[in-house]
Amino acid sequence: MTTAKISLTLNDRPVEADVEPRTHLADFLREDQLLTGTHVGCEQGVCGACTVMIDGRPSRSCITLAAACDSADIRTIESFDDDPLMARLRDAFSRHHGLQCGYCTPGMLATSYDIVRRVPDADNDRIRRELSGNLCRCTGYAGAVAAVADVLSQNPPAALLQPMPRTRQTARSATSPEAASSSSEPISASGQHTASVTQIPDAVADGVALSREVTIDASPESVWRILEDIPTLVTCIPGAQLGGMTGSRATGYVTVALGPIRSNFDGAADITTSPATKSGSAIGRGIDKLTRSALDGSLEFTLSEAAAPDKSTLKFDALYRLTGPLAQFGRPTVVAAIADKILSDMSDAISAKANGRDVDPVDTKPPALNGFAFAWIAIKGLFAGLWRRP
Amino acid sequence: MKPVAFKYDAAVSVSDGCGALRDGANAKLIAGGQSLGPMLNLRLVRPGSLLDVSTLPEIREANETEAGVVIGAAITHAEIEDGAVRDPTGGWLRAAAANIAHRGVRNRGTIGGSLAHADPAADWVIVMTGLGASVTLEGPSGRRDVPMSDFVIGPFETALSPDEILVSVFVPKPAKDTRWGYWKYMRQVGEFAKASATVLINSEAGASRIALGALGQQPIILSSDVAEKVIGERMEVREALHDAFNAAGLPAEPENLALHITAVHRALAIAHADNN
Repeated sequence: MTTAKISLTLNDRPVEADVEPRTHLADFLREDQLLTGTHVGCEQGVCGACTVMIDGRPSRSCITLAAACDSADIRTIESFDDDPLMARLRDAFSRHHGLQCGYCTPGMLATSYDIVRRVPDADNDRIRRELSGNLCRCTGYAGAVAAVADVLSQNPPAALLQPMPRTRQTARSATSPEAASSSSEPISASGQHTASVTQIPDAVADGVALSREVTIDASPESVWRILEDIPTLVTCIPGAQLGGMTGSRATGYVTVALGPIRSNFDGAADITTSPATKSGSAIGRGIDKLTRSALDGSLEFTLSEAAAPDKSTLKFDALYRLTGPLAQFGRPTVVAAIADKILSDMSDAISAKANGRDVDPVDTKPPALNGFAFAWIAIKGLFAGLWRRP
Repeated sequence: MKPVAFKYDAAVSVSDGCGALRDGANAKLIAGGQSLGPMLNLRLVRPGSLLDVSTLPEIREANETEAGVVIGAAITHAEIEDGAVRDPTGGWLRAAAANIAHRGVRNRGTIGGSLAHADPAADWVIVMTGLGASVTLEGPSGRRDVPMSDFVIGPFETALSPDEILVSVFVPKPAKDTRWGYWKYMRQVGEFAKASATVLINSEAGASRIALGALGQQPIILSSDVAEKVIGERMEVREALHDAFNAAGLPAEPENLALHITAVHRALAIAHADNN
């Protein structure tokens, strides 16, 4: 299964190894090379515990592929036993209580070693800034900062790091037999998808608010009529497919993309509407098994006459909460930008239909659409809401 | 070991890479991997194959011309921060690079990777837009230059076609006496910016530019007329931004607007104090 051959310098000795391409450097160091001084914390490049020296520069080994380190020079904490500068740092960390459980310490020391050499004139503010990429959850940072300041005050030999050439002449190829099957995983929308049984929350706790108004080029009456026609309606929502309706509960799924991320959200929503006022509310939950992320969303909406004739205004106030790995990338401003894009496409499609023009169903172009499922779920709730009359 | 199994190749050349992107099933480029790495580990991204361009010599060069500097896509943030690459702006690039994430990330993250990833909150996306830079894309049918203002077209969305590779970014040498300010708002060092702005002042040539970033979408560039008025204090920043948000179809949410107004004010102050 392992087919990537790498040769590198590890702690001053040459190492040749076969690694599976997906192995990150931290796992390679710990599990293949048994150098367990490198600690693995978050495995997403945030905590800094896995920091090692790659070509003389502190780097996060959890988000560096071992296969990308062919011909590199790697130094882990184990190689610094006899290093006089690291000895000073170790001593200072002990004296200043720069560690308690010690989990972050290998990474802290690698970063500190770099600070002392690269920024010899660093004051406490600068040390704090430079150390900010290494998280400590027990001792706090005062001791670590004091330790680095102490070592700097002893006038250690300052040596500015020179950029190391990172060129590689020969192409290498590594194939994993599983790669073919993983690449054919159904990441794109597929008809085999079935709506899962989803538990719908009573309320969206700690939700992020998102309010929008969109103008549709058709009268509220004609828009409302379209909104009642579920299959037509769903074709107006980019990337969406309706699963089914049971009473007030609508189910369905949507395929969305955000840069290189693809998601398939299965969702369900409970809806109440008031046709008299052309308003309503919805609450729902969507689960994306691929990214193991969940979205809870609630929504209040009203459709009203806009200032200009034959125009309507669709206004909604949503509250959403995204959890799971996808939440890292679902920053509120990004969600809002995506919701705007979806709303714009959708209102174009609705006004075209209301005016009797044939439009390409929006669901033929989900791959081209960049949108986040949770924004869609909120919108899906909105439309699902129009289907039910209490 | 967290990512899905994938094939991994180190590219031998840009043209070879374009071919691999075209032919590969679900192929994805990787340079420093500082944004893609977490997505791979979390299995948010499941490529069939990765093509590593981080050590390609032809995109690890920087060349100075009379008009500016062409920075190869695989030059790292740290190399720019350390001055290993000639900074045509006399230090503006170095200062911006020094504030990207953390040193451990800057040591591997690349300028081309950051631009191609097009995170709306990324430093290079707003800084290169504010400086009027352009990127060079290479594909099977050759090379084309795209100004930054046309390159990022949405959140994580660019003008790159699937078989194109961003090979370099061209940063023009600013005219004499041009001033510059860049400021971003973050609650803690290294996190994604919640608002950012750049101010380039060159009123004599009528080439001043104010750009807003970290909007969740591509940056907004104020019209040169509005920019001159704001710089000349003939228009309130609040009014200019309110109009710009409206024109871009962004709701002027008070908190978001306030952060961007502050970003412009701070960037203006930095530009006015700039002695370049």
